[in-house]
Amino acid sequence: MNPVLVVLLRILAALGLMLANGVVLIYMLRKVLGHMHLRLGPMHVGPHGILQTTMDVLKLLTKEDITPRGVDRALYFIAPAAVFVPSFAAYAAIPFSDSWSITSLDTGLLFTLAALSLVPIGILMAGWASANKWSLLGGMRAAAQQIAYEVPLLLSLLPVVMFAGTLNLGDIVRAQSGLWFGFVPRWFIAFPLFWPAFLLFVIASLVELNQTPFDMSEAESELVAGFASEYSAMKFGLIFLSEFSNQFIVSALGVTLFFGGWMIPWVPESVVAPIAPVVFMLKVYTGIFVMMWIRGTFPRVRIDQLMQLGWKWLIPASLALILVTGVVLKVAQATQGVTG
Amino acid sequence: MTDPRDIVSGVGMLSEGTHFVGEPPAGIRRVPTGVDGLSTEHLVINMGPQHPSTHGVLRLLIEVDGEEVVAVEVTLGYLHRGIEKLAEHRRYDQLGTLMDRGDYVSGMHGEQAVALAVERLMEIEIPRKAAWIRTMVAELTRIASHLVWFGTFGLDTGAMGQFLYAMRDREAAVEILEAISGARMMFNYIRPGGVVDDLPAGIDQKILAFCDGFETYLDEHHALLGGNEIFQGRVRGIGVIDRDTALAFALTGPNLRASGLGFDLRRDRPYDAYPELEFDIPVGTTGDSWDRYMVRMEEMRQANRMVRQCIEGMPDGDFKAKVPRVLRPPEGEIYAATESSRGETGVHIVSDGSDTPYRFHYRSGSLHAMQALEEILPGHLLADVVMIVGSTDVMLGEVDR
Amino acid sequence: MRPDPTAISSLLSSAGVDAEVEGTTLGTVFRVALVDALAALIVLREGGHDFRMLADMLGTDTGDGIEITYHLRSFSRDEEVYVKTSLAYDGELPSVWTAFPSALMPEREIAELLGLTLAGHPNPRRLFTTDGIDPLLRKRVPIRTLEEVRDR
Repeated sequence: MNPVLVVLLRILAALGLMLANGVVLIYMLRKVLGHMHLRLGPMHVGPHGILQTTMDVLKLLTKEDITPRGVDRALYFIAPAAVFVPSFAAYAAIPFSDSWSITSLDTGLLFTLAALSLVPIGILMAGWASANKWSLLGGMRAAAQQIAYEVPLLLSLLPVVMFAGTLNLGDIVRAQSGLWFGFVPRWFIAFPLFWPAFLLFVIASLVELNQTPFDMSEAESELVAGFASEYSAMKFGLIFLSEFSNQFIVSALGVTLFFGGWMIPWVPESVVAPIAPVVFMLKVYTGIFVMMWIRGTFPRVRIDQLMQLGWKWLIPASLALILVTGVVLKVAQATQGVTG
Repeated sequence: MTDPRDIVSGVGMLSEGTHFVGEPPAGIRRVPTGVDGLSTEHLVINMGPQHPSTHGVLRLLIEVDGEEVVAVEVTLGYLHRGIEKLAEHRRYDQLGTLMDRGDYVSGMHGEQAVALAVERLMEIEIPRKAAWIRTMVAELTRIASHLVWFGTFGLDTGAMGQFLYAMRDREAAVEILEAISGARMMFNYIRPGGVVDDLPAGIDQKILAFCDGFETYLDEHHALLGGNEIFQGRVRGIGVIDRDTALAFALTGPNLRASGLGFDLRRDRPYDAYPELEFDIPVGTTGDSWDRYMVRMEEMRQANRMVRQCIEGMPDGDFKAKVPRVLRPPEGEIYAATESSRGETGVHIVSDGSDTPYRFHYRSGSLHAMQALEEILPGHLLADVVMIVGSTDVMLGEVDR
Repeated sequence: MRPDPTAISSLLSSAGVDAEVEGTTLGTVFRVALVDALAALIVLREGGHDFRMLADMLGTDTGDGIEITYHLRSFSRDEEVYVKTSLAYDGELPSVWTAFPSALMPEREIAELLGLTLAGHPNPRRLFTTDGIDPLLRKRVPIRTLEEVRDR
């Protein structure tokens, strides 16, 4: 096949996955939160309301696109794209199975994190361009928390990289194949050294995602809708979609780095191979479910508490963790002559 | 004794140049701006009247330096219906309907205040059973009202779960009130001389079942919201109203008790069946939002206890005293107050001997809490504003009247 | 509840305030002249009786002027007193916020709804209604104008 065509098809597949994901995740969010909150969620469009989000997308597509007077027009139009494009780009390096990924990058982890860290620039643009004080505050908060938590997010993943010896996400999954002592899966999460790393990753990634309890930039009880206040129709749709897509990416990262990617423990690879993408998606959706669980339960922290947590605790803790990992790695190499 | 002028600072006025307010009055201290050389131009933002967490139609003009609040000006009147003027054209037995629409989440307390005022003016002795029914429905209303506060207070912090769980329990309480009075919010049940109707048959079993369930549910509510570390971090030490400030701004009810002054009209100005009931009055120590939260949570527990006592000890007899069809209190003046969910709900009636009040005044706890807000909000972060407004539990229907 | 009126009136007169004691259905009421109102409140607050809270304020259109009622409460002695004063329709109500900050908003409300002007108030603007609305609590202001009734 024509290599250009292959690339185009892969990009289209990623776009399709992203859009479908958005629709499914919004439905899932409504249902999960609904049942956690003693209500049913959408029930009327289709059986158990499964067509509700489809209808919502149609509504967003056909709604009047309002541009408020006084906005910075150029930035106002670019901002949703600036939010959407990086989160779309982040799909590139995610390995859905041994062979299924849009592209296999040797710097996959770095690329994904770099793509994610571009999202707040779009949020800041949206907040500034909206010419709304609430939006501006939301955008500023997003920028502040982005700067504070980019560092611990990356540092918390370094121990994994040190053990796996690669930044290629597919290779990191492959490094987790097999069993320890014959029954413990060699997933990094099974190794106690990585538990603090995983905790740091969860906290930092929730902040990166603007998820409860760190949803400062769109805190609806304080900032009305934050940076998205002035957006309507599909511009809002893009911002919304990118938010759900980012959830997927971060959950996929967590699964890839700590939970053995597409693999099922105790089952031979050859058996898992045909259903590997399904296994991967199930694991990712479990991660997203946990995020929704947190969202349905937790209150929101305050911006100064968030900053304190980031600068005073998470960054020193993740640095210390890297030191400990390095020492453990060296000792293990010296005593056994083998690496993790 | 502290000079009240040391307590008051901005008097709800924004800095010059940021708003249309004229000259600041002499002798008013202001939060200094730009002292550290880091502060930038102040921003005036409009919180409300359409804002998710202003609990109705409150409008706060907030002057912020970054995210820090420098001054707050409260703009009221979006719900002003002129209840005091309307009451001058209502007969005494119709006043309860107006009070229901004042503090519309705890209507019974307003009705009770009117009934007490008219009874004291006319020297009507109400039957014992009427007093007990009144007390019981008032305490049920307190539970229902505090649950609304609990749910929305959590919403202010961004948590959503507890709101719907609180609404589930409120629904049970409101259904009981509906069975008793026929209405869910605008009861018009307590009238001068007693109550409208006797308790329906079999309601006591329902109420006891509610009381049993609510005891455990209340612990669950507290564990879900108050037990959360993040929530505690948001409310502890935030919005401190010390005793002097509370007295200076005439706070009443849970807001005053959280500041450490245990004044409760139910105990200190006893009315209806309260002297015969056993209950504790929770008192806070520092007067921060956490204390206000804890005081209200404990009040729900005590209210539940009182409802149970009322059902178990409900006397027999009439539910209404013999009162004339048209009430004509003698000439005179009376002030009667009940301990409502939001503080002292007082009714001041000036009677000229006719069947309508000459002057009717509705004293609400929320208006005074509103004044204190202007004072305590500056110095906090924007995110704390919604928390403090939520913790004082202001009800705009009662503020504007 | 009801304080000893003689003790308080001697307290007031020692501060140079002429007060007339009335025992009504309302409670213990001290009637003072408008100029003495603030002084009387300060004496009640800082004299031995410790009336720390201005629980309520009320303005009444009596037919020949406006009557203002201050409702004071003492927690340490568990007493309540009322101080009444009156002024003309076009009178100026001196603010008592320097003694009781809780008067800030009720005074604005009274001034707006009874058509008075405030003196010495830091923020003497209207509280509830917009400019141009009649002082609603005056007896001469009807609850609905004749034209509105006719148009219904």
